[in-house]
This record gives sequence, C-alpha cells and structure tokens, in this order.
Amino acid sequence: MKLPLPVSLLVMAPLLAAQQPRVVVDSLPGLRMSWELIEVPGGPVVLDGDTVMVDTFLVGRTEVPWELYDIFYLRLDVPRGARDSVDARLRPSRPYGAPDRGFGHRGFPAISVTHGATTRFVTWLSSVTGNEYRVMTEAEWQRAADLAFPGGIVADSVAWTGEVSGGATRRIGSGKPDALGLHDLLGNADEWVTGRDSTPVLRGGSYLDSLVTPGTRRLQEPSWNQTDPQIPKSRWWLSDGPFAGFRIARKP
Amino acid sequence: MSITRRDFVATTATATIAATLPRRAFGIGRPDADPIRIGVIGCGGRGTGAARDALAASENVSIVALGDLFPDKLKSSREQFARMIADQPAMASRYQVTEERCFTGFDAIDKVLAADIDLAILATPPAFRAEHLTKAIAAGKHVFMEKPVAVDVATALQVIEASERAAQRNLAIVAGTQRRHDPRYIETIRRLHDGAIGEIIAGQVYWNQGGLWSHPRQPGWSDTEWQLRNWLYFSWLSGDHIVEQHVHNIDVANWVMGGEPVRALAFGGRQVRTSPDYGHIYDHFAVEYEYSDGRRVYSMCRQQDGTASKVGELFQGSRGSSNAYNRIDGPSAWQHPDVPGLNPYVEEHRALHASIRAGKPLNEGRRIAMSTLTAIMGRESAYTGQPVTMEELIASGLSILPPVVEFGDLPVPPVPMPGETRLDRNFDQGW
Repeated sequence: MKLPLPVSLLVMAPLLAAQQPRVVVDSLPGLRMSWELIEVPGGPVVLDGDTVMVDTFLVGRTEVPWELYDIFYLRLDVPRGARDSVDARLRPSRPYGAPDRGFGHRGFPAISVTHGATTRFVTWLSSVTGNEYRVMTEAEWQRAADLAFPGGIVADSVAWTGEVSGGATRRIGSGKPDALGLHDLLGNADEWVTGRDSTPVLRGGSYLDSLVTPGTRRLQEPSWNQTDPQIPKSRWWLSDGPFAGFRIARKP
Repeated sequence: MSITRRDFVATTATATIAATLPRRAFGIGRPDADPIRIGVIGCGGRGTGAARDALAASENVSIVALGDLFPDKLKSSREQFARMIADQPAMASRYQVTEERCFTGFDAIDKVLAADIDLAILATPPAFRAEHLTKAIAAGKHVFMEKPVAVDVATALQVIEASERAAQRNLAIVAGTQRRHDPRYIETIRRLHDGAIGEIIAGQVYWNQGGLWSHPRQPGWSDTEWQLRNWLYFSWLSGDHIVEQHVHNIDVANWVMGGEPVRALAFGGRQVRTSPDYGHIYDHFAVEYEYSDGRRVYSMCRQQDGTASKVGELFQGSRGSSNAYNRIDGPSAWQHPDVPGLNPYVEEHRALHASIRAGKPLNEGRRIAMSTLTAIMGRESAYTGQPVTMEELIASGLSILPPVVEFGDLPVPPVPMPGETRLDRNFDQGW
C-alpha cells in the first residue's frame, strides 16, 4: 500500500522519535489474572481508500488467551452455586466439541469465537474491571498495523503462519514482538475487529495462512459454522473457525 | 403421564387416517424420481440438524413428519424449519410437515412410523434407540439413527437383532458416526489396511473437552422429566459420556484394528462435575482395550471445563504412524488433500439415500452396536473396578433401564463406585 506522503510521515513520526510505547497493566485481582496493554498513538489511517483519524487507544499486547476467556465463558468470576443463574444471553453457551482444537489451552489464544461473543466479552470485561474495553475497530487495527510494521514490511519470523505453524496456534507472547511491542498482530489467530457499518471483519491472518500482510482481511462465511451439527447453530462458537480469535482495545 | 393428553387424542385420530392412505409399492431400489419421505423422532438440536443434513444431502428427499416427547421441543424444531424456509425458499417444497403430522408423547414414534414415511431419523436419547429401531424395521422403514445406539447389553443386543431383520427385509440402517463417511478417514484407513505403516501395533484414542449443556430443574418437572431433559447425565439414558461421545473415536479404533477388543481395563471417576445437576455419571475415563491378538488401544475421555482438549486418534505401526484421519508419517508419508466444502454430517445421509436408491441398502447396525458395546465394556470396567471381557459383558445381559419409563418419581442411581458397583446390577435391585 502506498500512502500519500504527508500520511506516511505522520505514520512514521512516533517511530522516528524512538519513543518507548506506554504499557498499562490491568487485572482481575481475585482471579490472579492480569494482562498488558500498549498505547497506540492516534493518527490517520487509510481504509478502503478513505483517510480516517484514529484517537490514541490502548491495545492488548497479545491476543486474548483462553485463561481470560474461560473466566468469562465458564463464569469463573461467579460463585460456583450461582453460575447457572447468570443471564444466558450475556455469556457463551457450551461449545459443540472442542473449540481449542487440541492446540493448547492455558497460554494459547482463545479461538473458534464469534464476533458477537467478543462484543459480549468486552462488555463483561468492562464491567468487572471498571475500564472501558471494546473490540478493536478496523481503523484501530489498521493504525496498530501501520505502526507495528513501518512501510508494510514484515520481518521474517514475526508472524506465526502456515509456513511454520504445523497447523496449530502458538503460545501467546512466545514470538518476536513487532515495532509497537505487540505479539502476533499478524498470524497465530485471526483477530475480530468491527469494520465500518459494524461489519465483523477478521484481520491479520492466522496460523493457517501461508502469507499474511498488514492488509490481510476476511469477511465471515457460512462455512465457518458448517459442521455444527446442532440446529440452531451456535451464536457464540464457530465449529469451523479455529482461526478466529481477537485482541482487546481500551480507552487510554 | 401428564402432558397434553387431549393433543394425543387429536393427533391419534389424524394418524389413523394417514395410516389408511395407500402406501406406494416398495420394491428393491427406488428411481431418483421417487421421493424419499422422512419422519424425525427426537426433534432436539441434533434431530433437527440431522433432518437439515438429510435435505442438504440429496434431491427429492422431504421431511414429512416430526415427533418428540415434549411439545416445546417440537415447537422450537418447527420454528427452526420455518427459519430455514425463510432463508432458503427453495426448501419450502421439501418440508411438508403440517400440524397433523406433528406428534408428541412417548408414543410419537408409532405415529411418525404410521405417517406414510420411507425413512425414519431416530435422534432421541440413546435409551430409546433399540425400541425405536425395532419398531421402525418392523414397520418396513429405512433408518438413520444417531449414535450411540445402546446404553447396556440388553439394548445393544436388541439393536443387533433389529439390524439382522433389516438385512432380511432389504432395509437400510446408517448410524451417525460420520467419520465412516468422511472421505479423508476412508482413504487414510484404506492405506493403513494396505500396509502404509507396516503392521499396526498400537493406538490411542481421545475425546477430552469441556462440559456440555444442562437444564436447571424447573418447578413442575417430575423426576423423569428432569432426567429426560438432562439425559446426558444419567447412565440409563446416555450410557455416560464414554459411550455418548467417545464412541466416535472407539469406533475408529475398531475400524483400524479390524474388529472389537476382547477385554477392557479401565478407571474413571466424577472429579469436577459433582453437582447433583449433573446426575450420576463420571467426568473422566481411561481404558486399555485389548484386541484378540494382544494388541492394545489406549483410550481416554474427559468432560471437565477449562481443561485442554484433545479429540482424535493415533496409530503406530512397524513402519510409521498415522492419525487415521488425513496423515501418514514414516517412509510412506502422505497427506490427504483438503476437501473444500465437505460436511461429513451431510455425507452420511448422502450415502444412505444413494444406497436406498441403488437397492443396495447400507446396514451399519451391527457395527455401531459393537462399537457401542466396546464403549460400554470400558465404562463397566471403570464402574466396577474390574477388568471386563466382551464375553462376560455380553453374558451378563446388563440392563440398566427402568422397567417402565413414564412421568413420575424416578430416583437417581448412585454414582458408580469401583469395588462396589457390580456388573449384575439393575435398576430395581440398585447399583
């Protein structure tokens, strides 16, 4: 992607200044769970040929791992006896089969999740932390990618792709970070973002793709839930979407 | 039995009229132009899904009757079909279920079988499979039945008997073990049998995952209704999760090994999922299956939330290894190419319909009954704490169904206790 000159200067500015990105830690103390967020400076982004401005935001250093998603989906933050009485519209149903696909659980990215499930997740995370979390917008994801891969150049061995993955995700934070300090923005799990007109979009490619770039993008297809043998098919889980994960964003 | 008896009377009357309508002649084979009319018994998520898969599998197949024990399940199934037609208007002509062709109650099976159908989809909880299969075959219907097909020895033997009668009458039986109709498994296992990894020495099979759904008890539900609506968690209804779910992988083991094991040595327990909401079944099992020539397959299955999953099969040979699914490692390394758009849940219906049309009906009844018995043998070894042979299992005649299933009081059997629980137990004499 060739950016107009003023835009590329703006994109490059923070890196030219060699700033250390601000890191924020958030946690669920009672559940011994914490995660890091990295500040992404706002700026212009070109999306579908239009330039839009993105405000400064915080983004998860890694994709959301199972141990955090499990607290939400298994209601581990609710006392044992009360878990069945949690509003079923707010938390995932039980999946059909094994959504982690045997790749690994604790320490590995949560996958096979729907975009709708990720929006419920951030609502829950906001309520339990008191901070304002959201699923990334596509413009935010693109802004992060522009800064993470200056000039669109992806160094070898940063992205966990089909060339090396052996057909499985890898442990979060186990690969080399990008220029922003994020892990697996490209490769490992695809990441759900909210596109324009609220369209769910997956960005960044996954362990299944042989080639991923900062422009890799896909829209949901019915085949991603094809073999869910139950009718109705799940609104929470993708029986055939083991590549679909996500990353959280927050107000700074 | 308290549910909507008035509806029964009404539906019985219409069913009788339907049954008096002339039946089409039913010779060997069916031309493509001759429709296959399907009735569904058990309209939960899976039964409704199986009906959709059947419609997707071949042309000139229609759903004509629905039956379920519970009116609410039938209602939500009909809503799903209405949604399907809204999404795919072309399907409207293939969904021919009217109010008169919907049946509820324990005898819904009889009404559906009498509703001028050619093929019955049996998708109730496994406890009822043997009885329903027997009735369907006696009524001259082809059958698609969900796995597992039995919960104990008595029901497994009944399935084998019905399958033999089906063979005599040229009726087809396909079981919902979709791996058997997945071209990737079929080709990989064909290669294994052709010696791609040399002599097959040993195997491991797994179904480890989190927990499944449950429905908290509602006021007004009898013991029986509560158990039926949570059938997964009662051994007499589901067979326990080793039978209900892990039978898929055990069936692959028997497929690769070329028959059933002769002996099981197992343990298991109820470690995490201990609330009475989850009945009395276990949440983990590990089994050593021994085949007649001494080869072993190790099996493990677990339903514990938040644990790492592993679902699949592995086999080692004298010259390599394989996942039985799409890959062979070793000197004859090979990988099955991706099959875009493949849905094995549809393929199994396609194979069934094609076999009926060709006049060469598939009959998987005995095979799935034996794989179900293999899973039951592992369960019984874990429950009793003793090694169990196939011979002594079958000789035990184990029968764990309540003598009569009707709405009312029904105690939950105790959690099986190795060292105490006996193979000669039954519902009346306790566990």
